[in-house]
Amino acid sequence: MTSKLKTVAGRLRAVWMLLLVGVVLSVTSPVFLTPTNLLNVALATSVAALLAAGQTYVIILAEIDLSVGSALGFSAVVTALTLGPYGLVPALAAGLATGAAIGLINGLLVTRTRMPSFIATLATMSVFAGLTLHITSGNPIPVTDYDFQGIGQARFAGVPVPVWIMLVAFGVFGFVLARTRFGRYVYATGDNVEAARLSGIRVHRVKILAFVISGVLASLAGFIITARLSTAQPTAGAGLELDAIAAVIIGGTSLAGGRGTLLGTLVGALVLGVIDNGMNLLDVSPFLQDVVKGLVILLAVFLDRNVDVLRRLLPRRAPETPARTPELAQHI
Amino acid sequence: MHLQLADVRKSFGDNSVLRGVSFDVGPGEVVALVGENGAGKSTLTRVISGAHQPDSGRLLIDGTPTVLKDPQAAMAQGIEVIYQEFQQNLFPHLSVAENMYVLDRERVFGRLFVSKQRMAAEAARALRRLGMEIDVQRQVGELSVAERQMLEIAKAMTHELRLIILDEPTAALDEQESEQLFAQVNRLREAGVSVIYISHRLDEVFALSDRVVVLRDGRVTLDAPTGQLTPARVVTAMVGDAVDDFYPKERNARDEVVLEVRNGNGARFHDIDLQVRAGEVVGIGGVVGCGRSDLLRALFGLQPLTGSVRVGGSAVRVASVEDAIGSRIAYLSPDRQAEGLCMGQSVEANVSLASLRELSTGGGVVSRGKERAATGAVISDLRVRAASPSIAVSSLSGGNQQKALFAKWVMTRPRVLLMDEPTRGVDVGAKTEIYRIINQLTADGVAVLLVSSDLPELVAMSDRVVVMREGRFVAELTGDGLDEQSILKHALVGAA
Repeated sequence: MTSKLKTVAGRLRAVWMLLLVGVVLSVTSPVFLTPTNLLNVALATSVAALLAAGQTYVIILAEIDLSVGSALGFSAVVTALTLGPYGLVPALAAGLATGAAIGLINGLLVTRTRMPSFIATLATMSVFAGLTLHITSGNPIPVTDYDFQGIGQARFAGVPVPVWIMLVAFGVFGFVLARTRFGRYVYATGDNVEAARLSGIRVHRVKILAFVISGVLASLAGFIITARLSTAQPTAGAGLELDAIAAVIIGGTSLAGGRGTLLGTLVGALVLGVIDNGMNLLDVSPFLQDVVKGLVILLAVFLDRNVDVLRRLLPRRAPETPARTPELAQHI
Repeated sequence: MHLQLADVRKSFGDNSVLRGVSFDVGPGEVVALVGENGAGKSTLTRVISGAHQPDSGRLLIDGTPTVLKDPQAAMAQGIEVIYQEFQQNLFPHLSVAENMYVLDRERVFGRLFVSKQRMAAEAARALRRLGMEIDVQRQVGELSVAERQMLEIAKAMTHELRLIILDEPTAALDEQESEQLFAQVNRLREAGVSVIYISHRLDEVFALSDRVVVLRDGRVTLDAPTGQLTPARVVTAMVGDAVDDFYPKERNARDEVVLEVRNGNGARFHDIDLQVRAGEVVGIGGVVGCGRSDLLRALFGLQPLTGSVRVGGSAVRVASVEDAIGSRIAYLSPDRQAEGLCMGQSVEANVSLASLRELSTGGGVVSRGKERAATGAVISDLRVRAASPSIAVSSLSGGNQQKALFAKWVMTRPRVLLMDEPTRGVDVGAKTEIYRIINQLTADGVAVLLVSSDLPELVAMSDRVVVMREGRFVAELTGDGLDEQSILKHALVGAA
C-alpha cells in the first residue's frame, strides 16, 4: 500500500507541491488547518476546478479551450434570465444547453474548419463575452430563487454543495476518462491523431465531445458562482480560463497531449486554491498574489520537466521505470 | 581520416552497451556497421560523433588520441552523422540554400545581413558538383525524402568532411533513389572521405562496403573485408547462431476466395482485378509511386475507391476506416511512428485500441480483466518483448514496436490484412519473427496483401506477386517465374 502511495506521489508531482504549501501554511498560520478554513479552500476552488476538469479532456487531446470563462458568463446570464419566468428546472436545462452549444460550436470549428483550437476558442471567447455584455447591457441580473441559491449557499452533511458538485463531477468524469472506451479514445487521439484514426476511432467526434464536456462543466461552474452571489455577473468568468489551464498544467497534464489525469487536475486546482487562501491568511497584498501564482506555475512545470533535478535533491529511491534491457539500449 | 577505436566501453547504469569495441576505418574506406537493434550501433555512433563520452578506451584520429568532448568538437574534426530520422536536422520552412549554409561559421555570406543571391549561387554550385539536381530556392518541406537526404549529405559537405556516418540511409528510399545514394557514397569514397554505413539490408552492405564490422551485445563479432564474406556468415555473426532458414515461408493458401476486388479504380490506380484466397499472401511489386500503397489505403477506406469489393463472398463498403474494420480488414501502415502507434501510451493500450468495442460493456466501460487477458495472450503469442504491458510503447525496440503494431491488428481477428513495408527499420532477428507471425496468420486463413520494397522478402514471403506500373497490374508472377529480376523488369519497363 505504501509503495502504491509512493508511485502515485512520484507520478503526481503536484501532490508534493500541495503538501509543501500545506505544511508551510500550517506552521505559519494557526487558522489554516481548521476544518472551517479547509472547507473554505474547497469551496473557493470548486469553480476553477470544474472548468479545469473539462479543460483536462481538451488538453489531453492536444487542444485548448480559451472560451470557458466566457461560456461560464454567458450560460450564467441565460440561466438567470430563464429562472424568473420559467423556474428552476428549465433554467438549469437552458444553462447546461447553452454550455453544451458553445462546446459544440468550438468542436465543430476545430474539426470541420481545421482551425487551431487556440484561435477558434479565442474567437468564441470574445464573441460570447461580448454577447453577454450586450444582452445584459453590462448590468448584473439578480437571482431570488431560493432553491437556486442553495446550489451555491447550502450545505449537505456539513459540506458546501459546490464542493459536493465538484467531487461528484470529478468522480464521474474521472471514471469516464480512466475507465471507459471514450476515455481511451481521448488519450489515443491526443497522443497520435493519425494512429487513432487508422484504428477506427472517429477522432472528430471525440474532439467535439470533449469540447462539449468543457462547455457543460463551464455552465455548471456558472450555476455555482451565480448562486453564491445571488446575481449573474456578466463578467463572472473573465480570466477564469487561465486559472483552469494553470490547474491542469500544475496537475501534470501535458500540453503536447496524450497524458494527464483528473486526479492531477484536482490537486492542481487545490494547489492554486490553497495558495490563494494562504496569502489571504497571511495578509499578502492582493496585487502580489498573481505574482506568486505565476511563480508557482513556473515551478510546477519546471519540476515536471526536470525530474532529474528533483531526484538529485531527494534521497535515492528505487527506480520507477523497469530496468533497461539491452533491447532498450538504443534509445538511451 | 584514419579513425581507430581501441577498447571503447560505455555503460548506462547497470547496462553495458559497449563492452570493448575496437576497429579501424581508413581514409576512403566504406565500413558497413551491422548488428541487431540494441547491439550498440547507435551508442557507438554517438561516441564517434562526440554526443557520448566513452567510459574507457581510446579514440585515435590519424594516430593521435583525441577526446571529442561534444558534437561541435567532432564536427571541427570533419565528422558528420546523418541520423535515421534525418528530417530533424533540416528546417522545413527554409529554402534548400538556407538550410545548407545555416551555420556559416566563417560568415562567408555576410556578418549581419546575409546575401541570399550569393548563398543560392554557391548552393547551386555545390549541388551540381555532387551531381544533385535540386532547386535551391525550394522550401525543404516540399522535398521528397530522398531529396532531403541528398541535401543532408550536401550540407555535411559544405565544410571539410573527413568521416561520415550514415545511419540506415535507405530505410525510406525506393530502388532508384537508393541507387543515387550509392553513387553518392562512391563519390565520397573517391574523395577520400571515410564512411561508416549502418544498414539492416545485407544486399546493400555487400554491394557497397569495403569491410563489414558486426556488433553483437556491445562487442565486435566479425571484422573482415566484404569480399571474403557471405551473407550467411554476417547474419550468423549478428544473431549468434546459424540462421539457415531466414525466410521461414509456409504455404497455407486454400481454395476459398476471401478478398475480391473487381474493376477497382482510384486516384492513382486503375482497373484493378484481384483475388486473394484464404491463407494466401499476394505480394504487390512495383516502384514507389506506382499506386501499390494507394491501393492498400483505398481498400482500408483512406482513399476513394470505385468498383466492387467483396470479403468472404459478400459485397462490402470501404468508404471509411470504420467500414473497413467492420468488414474485418486490417491495415499495417508503413510508418509506425506517424500512423501506427500512440507512442506515449502503454503497450497494452496500443494493442487493445482497435478492439475496445469487444472488450467493453454495453455502457462503454472497458473491462480491464478482459483487456489484460486478451492483450496478454496476443503479446505473448507474437513474442512482443516488453518489460511489462504497462510501459510506454516508445520504450520498445523498433522490432518490438512493429510486433506490437501487428498485435493490435491480430486482436481484431481480421480476415484480410493489408501490409505496407511490414519489416521496415526492423533488425534481422525481429524480421524472422514477423515472418513467423505472417505464417501464423495465413495458417488461420487470413488473406494477406503484401507491399514491400525489400525484394528478397517480397519474393520469399509471397505465394504470388502481381506487379504494378503506373497504377495498373502489368504482370502476375508465380512459381519459378517469381524472382527479383522479373519483378524489377516488369516494374520498370513492362513486359519484355
